[in-house]
Amino acid sequence: MGNKTLALCRTAPYGSALAREGLEAVLASAAMEQEVDLLFIGDGIFQLLGNQSPEEIQQKSQRRNLLALPMFGLEQFYVCASSLAERGVKPKLIEIPGVEIKTIEQPGALIASYQCVLSF
Amino acid sequence: MPRSAGHFTIWPAMKFSLAVYSAPHSTQSAASALRFAKALLSEGHEIYRIFFYCDGIQNGNSIAAPPQDEADLTGEWQDLQRQYNLDLVICIAAAQRRGVLSQREAERQEKLSANLAEGFELAGLGQLTDAVANSERLVTFGG
Repeated sequence: MGNKTLALCRTAPYGSALAREGLEAVLASAAMEQEVDLLFIGDGIFQLLGNQSPEEIQQKSQRRNLLALPMFGLEQFYVCASSLAERGVKPKLIEIPGVEIKTIEQPGALIASYQCVLSF
Repeated sequence: MPRSAGHFTIWPAMKFSLAVYSAPHSTQSAASALRFAKALLSEGHEIYRIFFYCDGIQNGNSIAAPPQDEADLTGEWQDLQRQYNLDLVICIAAAQRRGVLSQREAERQEKLSANLAEGFELAGLGQLTDAVANSERLVTFGG
């Protein structure tokens, strides 16, 4: 059993439920000890920003789910370098404790190296 | 040799799973998933599971009542399920949030009525993980 899986995080948090439900699917896979890697790309990089105040819009923190991932063995996130640059997000703004952020210049090659891709 | 069904041919036969993230009637995605599933089955491929997540859980809402001259996706999924004994799984957490409940869930949550369409079943996200692990291809629709 097992297919090396990449989860694409493409959407910004809070505006739609996809980012939250995607992370929940990743957590479920990790809890079942399946090998899942994460690539934050496009507006998905906004999920990584440190200064989120979701309680002001009656939302639960999605960053809290991200912070839980290292406990399930996910200690490395891939992040698309050009998605950061296009949105003016400096790498130091997206630090997650316990996680190594690897910026990727060629996301296509990374995606192609996986047997299965989940897209959220 | 494979029979041609629409615009694509995949050969040899493979084991697929589909993930459906969109509701009927809002975007085309769910209808595309249904057409893709029919095309796969008519070409002799196997569908291991269809997993409905996010707004896609509305595909299993039995009390949706679209006008008669519009597609009834829930009914078409049910027909396909009966014909091929498909495993149509709806994420229970996504369904609870959005109001698609089995009889058992409705009672447990103390809600007035159940509306999960026959042929669909509620289960956890582990069923998506399991589908990824046991299928040769996973194809996502919507989101």
